[in-house]
Amino acid sequence: MRFLLLIALFGCTAPPPLREPVVLRIALWGPLGELAPTASESVVASIAQPWVYEKLLTVDASGNLKPVLAAHVERISNQQMRIELRRDAAFSDGAPVTESDVVRSLESAGLSVVPGERALMIESRRPGLPIDALLLEAHIFRESQGKTVGSGPFAVTSQSESELRLNRRAPRPGRVNEVRLIAYKTPRDAFAHTLKGDANLIFDIEPRSLEFFRDVPSLQVFHGAGRSTDAIIFNPALSRADRRQLAEALSSPQLRELAYGAGECAEPGAAPRNDVSLTSGPVLRILSWGTFERLALAARRILARRGGEIVHVTPQEALSRIASGAFDVVMGRPLRWPPSSMALVWRTGGPYNIFGYSNPTFDDAVDRADWAAAEAALADDPPAAFLCTHDQLAVVDARIMNPKLGPYDTLETLPEWEVAR
Amino acid sequence: MTRRRIALLLTALVAASGVLPLLLLAMFGLQILRQRGERASQEALHAIATQAAARIGTYIAQQREMLRTIGTAVADEADAARRLADVSLDAPSLGKLRLVSAETPARELPRMLSAAQIASALRANEVASETYIAELSPAMDVCVPSGKPGRAVCATLDLLELQRQVQRIRVGEQGYALAFDRTGRLVAAGSGAMRAAVLSGEPVAESPLASGLVKGTPAPTRLRSGDGRDVLAGWASLADLGWSIAVEQPAEEALRGARTALKFLASGAVLTLLISIAIGSAFARRMLTALELEERFRTAGRIAAGITHDLGHRLTILQQIEQLAAMNDADYLPRIRESLAAEVGTLRRFVADFSDLTREAKPADFLPIELNAFAESVRLGAKGYAKEAKVAIEVERAPSDLWVRGDRYLLERAALNLTRNAIEASKPGSAVRLRIERSNGAAVLAVEDRGPGIAPDRIATLFESFSSTKRTGAHLGMGLPNVRRIAVAHGGTVSVKSKPGQGSTFSLSLPVNGDQSSSPLTPATMP
Repeated sequence: MRFLLLIALFGCTAPPPLREPVVLRIALWGPLGELAPTASESVVASIAQPWVYEKLLTVDASGNLKPVLAAHVERISNQQMRIELRRDAAFSDGAPVTESDVVRSLESAGLSVVPGERALMIESRRPGLPIDALLLEAHIFRESQGKTVGSGPFAVTSQSESELRLNRRAPRPGRVNEVRLIAYKTPRDAFAHTLKGDANLIFDIEPRSLEFFRDVPSLQVFHGAGRSTDAIIFNPALSRADRRQLAEALSSPQLRELAYGAGECAEPGAAPRNDVSLTSGPVLRILSWGTFERLALAARRILARRGGEIVHVTPQEALSRIASGAFDVVMGRPLRWPPSSMALVWRTGGPYNIFGYSNPTFDDAVDRADWAAAEAALADDPPAAFLCTHDQLAVVDARIMNPKLGPYDTLETLPEWEVAR
Repeated sequence: MTRRRIALLLTALVAASGVLPLLLLAMFGLQILRQRGERASQEALHAIATQAAARIGTYIAQQREMLRTIGTAVADEADAARRLADVSLDAPSLGKLRLVSAETPARELPRMLSAAQIASALRANEVASETYIAELSPAMDVCVPSGKPGRAVCATLDLLELQRQVQRIRVGEQGYALAFDRTGRLVAAGSGAMRAAVLSGEPVAESPLASGLVKGTPAPTRLRSGDGRDVLAGWASLADLGWSIAVEQPAEEALRGARTALKFLASGAVLTLLISIAIGSAFARRMLTALELEERFRTAGRIAAGITHDLGHRLTILQQIEQLAAMNDADYLPRIRESLAAEVGTLRRFVADFSDLTREAKPADFLPIELNAFAESVRLGAKGYAKEAKVAIEVERAPSDLWVRGDRYLLERAALNLTRNAIEASKPGSAVRLRIERSNGAAVLAVEDRGPGIAPDRIATLFESFSSTKRTGAHLGMGLPNVRRIAVAHGGTVSVKSKPGQGSTFSLSLPVNGDQSSSPLTPATMP
């Protein structure tokens, strides 16, 4: 009896069995590349940038600026900002984040910095580009033993050709403390390994591919608002009037339905308009690449007699044709959020304005940070027909309790994700 | 054995004899039910698989028919290439349509069709590839005649819809469907855990069964699935497409109904058994109490009758002595004294008999006793009585020491009782033998006489109270019942064998207590 009582007592007081910590293994495809603070989004490993390298500020879901390494932010103009640094921040090698580190980092991101008495005066080197859009892309780092280190919660612990391991600098209970980026050859391999359990996070999923992850008990689907919008971009050489009527005709629900099916775009569905008819004009050459083949076909149908030959090319070929102006309309996915990012794409001389679009009214609105006026200017002299903003879709381990995508970088909130105990 | 234990045993026997056969019958019935349930589940799974296969077959046939219609209608038009390309907007499942001729560059030909198949297609034959996984969904390359010689309309059918159909099939909570191609490769899986194999092309446990099924080998209806579970399965195949459809449901879920019924019945039976034992036990105890009470009254009546008879006899004698004393005749004085002494002795024996009845044997007080020495002690105790009766007492010892444990006083009373009975039954000049032996693992003290023996009809009641054959007034008739009581209290027995005219043997059997030679309580040291 006493023995039984002892067993019962042990049963009641024994600690719960230890559960293995959740290691997030992110399935990616393509060459992993080098994780660097200045790497572009096209580098696969750059998905880890927000956890390793912090920025001075970021943006919340409403589009408002939120300080990160900055303690105080003061906007002087659309192209100038005064920033006071947080004094408690430190890089992963233990060195404090100093003003000289910030100056060096921002200068490498195309910003000029004038150190002041207690604050830094930051200015865009490229006139006309909003300072916050540039700061949102600029990571703060320092060189340490031939490597770049950041002040984010994670640090790189090892890297091979196909795997990058990151560990949290100061492990936190109930959070993800280890992340591995695993690069597979193809999306199919990445999907297969995620279903198999070798990886437990995959993002950038097409809606039709979600079928694979339904009813997989160990995984959950989550999504976030997209920052880019599928668009049919016009050659600026087309007249403004032509572009306006093309934009009106192509922004039809009918085209969305043809290209994407029902309910796949975030844009509110409008009643079909029958009064939009294209006047006669030259037959338009349609340039398509990547996954835009169906959109190109749908556009050609809507363009009716003006819909010309569809040329489906590789992304590199598309860039080359855009640069040489060898297209009338081209499918693309320009940034639309936060509003300041529109300037990067459509402002005269903007870093992503590869189409040669120029609209002084838009530029003026951008300089005043009047985003409503900027939108109106784009509608008045449209560079493109904006069609469909997709939700970003991802699949993650079911033990993660609050997975989120965005609002700015795809997986920027990962360090705050909670793990079920 | 206590009244409670007797009651429980009785009740358990009655309950078990009633409930257990029913339980066995029910188990047998449930086993049949379970087998039928399994068969019914397998038939249902087979029906679902057949239905799914038919739907898939119809879908593919429709796609190919649509392709034929479009090919015939469009291929002759001047803008055929553009119109064919546009078709995919309205019929996404047809994928990308194109015109193929002998001049078509190799990179634009359907990739899963061989050169021979393409050549056949250009000769106005319809050709189709095996199904394969293109990017993330199953696909099939098909070419149909265009209506013009030397040209065919080709398409890569997107079979995502089939994958959706397979993934939508649900049986119960955990049942799912799987689709395999001719080679046994999984092309669609309803089970999330097995879906990786769709993309990786790795074979699963069912793969050889599926490829075997297409070749005509029947597939098992119960198996270990690709995700390691014991499942029931229904199979169907599409001969044209070379696909096999398996619909699986974990056996645990499929047979849950039968298992629940089994558990319910088993619990019910156990509960019924326990309730019947509880009720039966209560009733049995009540009945045993009533019986015991009745027996006590009967025993008290018999004792009272015996005492009344025996003491009445003694009173009559004492009355005669009193009358003799009232005569005040000094000549009668010695006779009066003798008679009084005899009556006092008789009454003392009465008291001793009752005293024996009240002494309880307590195992905690038992001591080792060596039976050969014990027999000698009994012989000495009965020696005086035997001498009066002119009967000899002989002891036949066992070959070695034979030890028992017991209350020496009570065992002596029992052995003396048997010995005195034997002496009384013996004719003067004969002998009574005390024989010690080991028999069937027990230590036996046998008391043999050469008296007249006991009538067979008396033997059955010999050990019952007040059943003595010598109710002469000097015996209560409690001797042999007391011997039996003492034997039972020591874990032993007492028995009798008798032949009329040849004598009787009473055997007192006691459990052997091993070798106690080293015990400090040897007979020599015992009181």
